[in-house]
Amino acid sequence: MAQVRQISVFVDNFPNRLAEVMKLLKENKVNIRALSLADTRDFGILRIIVNDSERAENALEKGGYAFKITEIVAITIPDSAGQLSRVLDILGQESVNIEYLYAFTGKSDKAVSFAVRVDDIEKASEVLTANGVILLTDKDISEM
Amino acid sequence: MERYWNQEIETMSREDMKKLQDERLVKQVRHVYENVEYYRNLMDEKGVKPEDIKSTDDLYKLPFLSKADLRDTYPYGLLAKPLSECVRIQSTSGTTGKRVVAFYTQYDIDLWEDCCARAITAAGGTKDDVCHVCYGYGLFTGGPGFNGGSHKVGCLTLPMSSGNTERQITFMRDLGATILCCTPSYAAYIGETLHDMGYTTDDIKLKAGLFGAEPWTEEMRHSIEESLGIKAYDVYGLTETSGPGVAFECSEQTGMHINEDHFIPEIINPETGEVLPEGEVGELVFTSITKEAFPLLRYRTRDLCVLSRKKCSCGRTLIKMSKPKGRSDDMLIIRGVNVFPSQIETVLIEQGYSPNYLIEVDRVNNTDTLDISVEMNIQQLSDKVKDMQAQERNLAEAIKAVLGINPKVHLVTPKSITRSEGKAVRVIDRRKLHD
Repeated sequence: MAQVRQISVFVDNFPNRLAEVMKLLKENKVNIRALSLADTRDFGILRIIVNDSERAENALEKGGYAFKITEIVAITIPDSAGQLSRVLDILGQESVNIEYLYAFTGKSDKAVSFAVRVDDIEKASEVLTANGVILLTDKDISEM
Repeated sequence: MERYWNQEIETMSREDMKKLQDERLVKQVRHVYENVEYYRNLMDEKGVKPEDIKSTDDLYKLPFLSKADLRDTYPYGLLAKPLSECVRIQSTSGTTGKRVVAFYTQYDIDLWEDCCARAITAAGGTKDDVCHVCYGYGLFTGGPGFNGGSHKVGCLTLPMSSGNTERQITFMRDLGATILCCTPSYAAYIGETLHDMGYTTDDIKLKAGLFGAEPWTEEMRHSIEESLGIKAYDVYGLTETSGPGVAFECSEQTGMHINEDHFIPEIINPETGEVLPEGEVGELVFTSITKEAFPLLRYRTRDLCVLSRKKCSCGRTLIKMSKPKGRSDDMLIIRGVNVFPSQIETVLIEQGYSPNYLIEVDRVNNTDTLDISVEMNIQQLSDKVKDMQAQERNLAEAIKAVLGINPKVHLVTPKSITRSEGKAVRVIDRRKLHD
């Protein structure tokens, strides 16, 4: 089953906090492939997919950050009208619920990638594969 | 088997103890009246003469002393011995205003250290123990008091003072410390650092800790006992009476035995000054009946607690005081409701959060606001915002259920709230700045 490792980092809502995380990743030569920041009144949750998850996790651990690993589905679809709608329909018909999703650029400028957080990742992978949607793996991400 | 430092005193019959207190009180009142002009004037104003005090039954006739009296008479106004007889001063942290300075003769130091020795013995300490003291040394009474008590017991004493927590742990391991003396918040921090350094309780030899100088909850006791693998004992004291060791816990851990051969306790109604019967909650008042240089009579501690003479399984007959609910001046009045930080601490620990928190009180458009920053629990971190917000909401509701008022809870990064090496600062009341 194709899954991708996402790191969610708890970031206090103070100036410079996000910059500190980025600086830490830069110093450890970690490249971010995809990113989304969910913000609340008091804190943010920074979700990232990186080229070398192990190195990023070690750096965050040493830096004293609170973070969590979640397996998510990452898909690549053609960059044309109606493609995302098709994917969402497939998931909807199978009653897979989407918690959140965010877009990122993949290897080709003719395709676009999405990180999709679902409630049932096994079912999601299965139905997407069955319908010919390309799922990315951690290896694909690191080789991008 | 229960060990005592001074079995005769600690298990004395009530009758004999009262006789001893009566004799000592009568003598002490005369000593103070003759040597402390300030207190003599207070007694004269009330129309009380030393000969009116014939026993502890007459204690209620004496005037009270409060922190304000200590400030007004700073530094020498309550001194009852010539300076040439004094050998030491200690001082309060001065967090609530001007510092208070207390004086000691050699006799005073001996009796204070003796009280600390009783506390260490009740916690299981013997001359075979290694006693690690990381209360602050210097003006603060914590370090010097336990240092002296530990010497009396004959423990190998590590005079660590506070700070440099990793070094504390290195010494604790290398020298096999078995007893730890510090503030409860520092004990919690040492436990946290121990685990951060990759050690477990198997890597240390601690068996007991004596923690005091700030209010702490039962929940915090359990959390320290677990993280350090020890029994955690409460101790009580204040600079004004001598320092730590005024009261101490025994193996029963259900309140602190007061060294009433030196300090007579009373519980009063803080509003009226009326003496309350045993079992009622009120302000704790102490009368020092043996101290020479700085003998305070009927000193109001501002600590709220209960006294009990219920028979104790440890065999001590010394009266017991409950863990103070908090100092009456730690109490916050928010939207007209009395709030003790310890109530919030209890909820946090029950809900699985760290006891490191910061309470901020302010007044916006004439309404009090209560903001509580809490370190998030890393086990509960979620990538989903709604889960995280639900944690804040649930915690706010649990706190509201206890306090009756709605707080704003803010989750922050674990370990981001400043750790204390001495007395923890947990409350910032900005309303005072506007007055």
